[in-house]
Amino acid sequence: MAEPILSFANVSFTYRGDWLQKIHALSDVSFAVPAGCAYGFLGANGAGKSTSIKLLTGLLHGHQGAVRLFGQPIGPSALRARLGYLPEQPYFYDNLQVGEYLKYLGRLSGMTPSAIGPACDRVYQLLDLGDLRTRMLGSFSKGMRQRFGLAQAILHQPDLLVLDEPFSGLDPLWRARFREVMHLERKRGATLFFSSHILADVEDLCDHYGVIDHGKILEQGRLADLLGQAPLELTGSGPAADGATALADGTWHLVFPESERAARLAALPAGAQILRLERQRVALEDYFVSRIRAFHGAGFKLGDG
Amino acid sequence: MVTVIAGATFREAVRSRTFLLLLVIYLIGVLLSRIVGWVSSTDGNLVTTDLVMSLQSVIGVLVAVATGTALVQTEIQQKTLYTILSRPVERWQFVVGKYLGLAASLAAGQVAMLAIGLAYLWLTGAHVQGWLVVAGLLTIVEVLVMAAISLCWTSLSSPLLAAVLGLATYALGHAVASLPGLINHLSGSQLVIASVLASFVPNLGMFTYRNEAAYALPIGLDDIALRVAYGALWITLLVTISVGVLRRKQL
Repeated sequence: MAEPILSFANVSFTYRGDWLQKIHALSDVSFAVPAGCAYGFLGANGAGKSTSIKLLTGLLHGHQGAVRLFGQPIGPSALRARLGYLPEQPYFYDNLQVGEYLKYLGRLSGMTPSAIGPACDRVYQLLDLGDLRTRMLGSFSKGMRQRFGLAQAILHQPDLLVLDEPFSGLDPLWRARFREVMHLERKRGATLFFSSHILADVEDLCDHYGVIDHGKILEQGRLADLLGQAPLELTGSGPAADGATALADGTWHLVFPESERAARLAALPAGAQILRLERQRVALEDYFVSRIRAFHGAGFKLGDG
Repeated sequence: MVTVIAGATFREAVRSRTFLLLLVIYLIGVLLSRIVGWVSSTDGNLVTTDLVMSLQSVIGVLVAVATGTALVQTEIQQKTLYTILSRPVERWQFVVGKYLGLAASLAAGQVAMLAIGLAYLWLTGAHVQGWLVVAGLLTIVEVLVMAAISLCWTSLSSPLLAAVLGLATYALGHAVASLPGLINHLSGSQLVIASVLASFVPNLGMFTYRNEAAYALPIGLDDIALRVAYGALWITLLVTISVGVLRRKQL
């Protein structure tokens, strides 16, 4: 099996909060991001997503366990030349122009001056920033800053794109455009690692996922497997099945888990007609709330093995 | 990397409203200094010269404190350094680059102020001689030391507290200059405290040559070199402390 492009192995991270009390932000976190995949890193606010991202980008240090980037332990700053990072709610210097800023960050990424011009043109086109290249970033709205944030993250065509809540503050049109850009980046060969809790975005982009809560990884795997666990929704007419809900138009519907598919279909009353059988689309946020509650309800507590 | 960061910091700093506003205040102050010269009972030209040269120092220090204290802590609070330090940039490169960029912008502002001030003095009939240029250059060193002090304080505390501490250090730094005169009046623990305090605070009086310059009192080249070296040593020490603090900081 090929070496993952990013991996956390038994990573724990503790920092000092107010009054110097210890806060365990990550506890024994392990996950691996295969090269070329799109990995959705999911969890509630304060779950440990941003802390994990800051560890791998070098903004935090002093962790226990092993964080490996491109097959090497993180540490040497040269590794970060292959990394593109969009922080959550990014903020930039007010008094620099878009073009100046991109050139500046391109130089810091190790790009040659001759390569920066074409790279800027590419991101101007992808994110409609061409007309704004002489605008100061201080005049940008939240959504425009997010566009610039993605532009600077992909400018140097990184091998690994780390995006912290990339769709935050975007209107639906720009969310769609962001998804297009991220698809293009994947086609180029980049690996995506991003945090989000919007089902449509994650479902459209990701093939792998990890769920983090209270600093611990709750589950991880392939997204297809996760979505396969969503309940089925059966709409029928004629005699209603046991437990079905009658609808105003005379039809009925019944929701049941995938594991009960065969039994439920076999138990349909004679004369019942199946109009539609589809997997229920649930908001990922709701799904994770229910999963996390289930974990806690089962006696799962931080510190358990 | 350091020069790239310094270049961007320079552009950002010279466009900041604080920088431009304080330059405007300097211009107004220079124009008003002539009025003070007219109404003074002593030599009006000398008073105007002293005021113009002092204004360069005061405005320079205010700009240094205002922009220097915003250098690191504000970047952490606003997360502007996230997109920089997530690139192949070492933290020491960031701090040194930021300081050099700020220093270049402050020096440019100071040179502009000095040129405007001397031109104004010449136009209004004051006696402009080379010692004033030396005094102006030593003021630039003082402002650069103040920028390093502000950078150091801001890496240890909040921007507001750093500004207060920066100005307090400025006051202490000038109080240290008068310490030799006070030493005769101190004894015992007072003398020890004053001596220890003096060794921890840069003697900003080393860069004050304005009054002597206004009276055309000469200063030796070796004396100038010693004062510049003293300033460079403090700047190196303060920037090194800031690097050490930022290297350990969790962002």
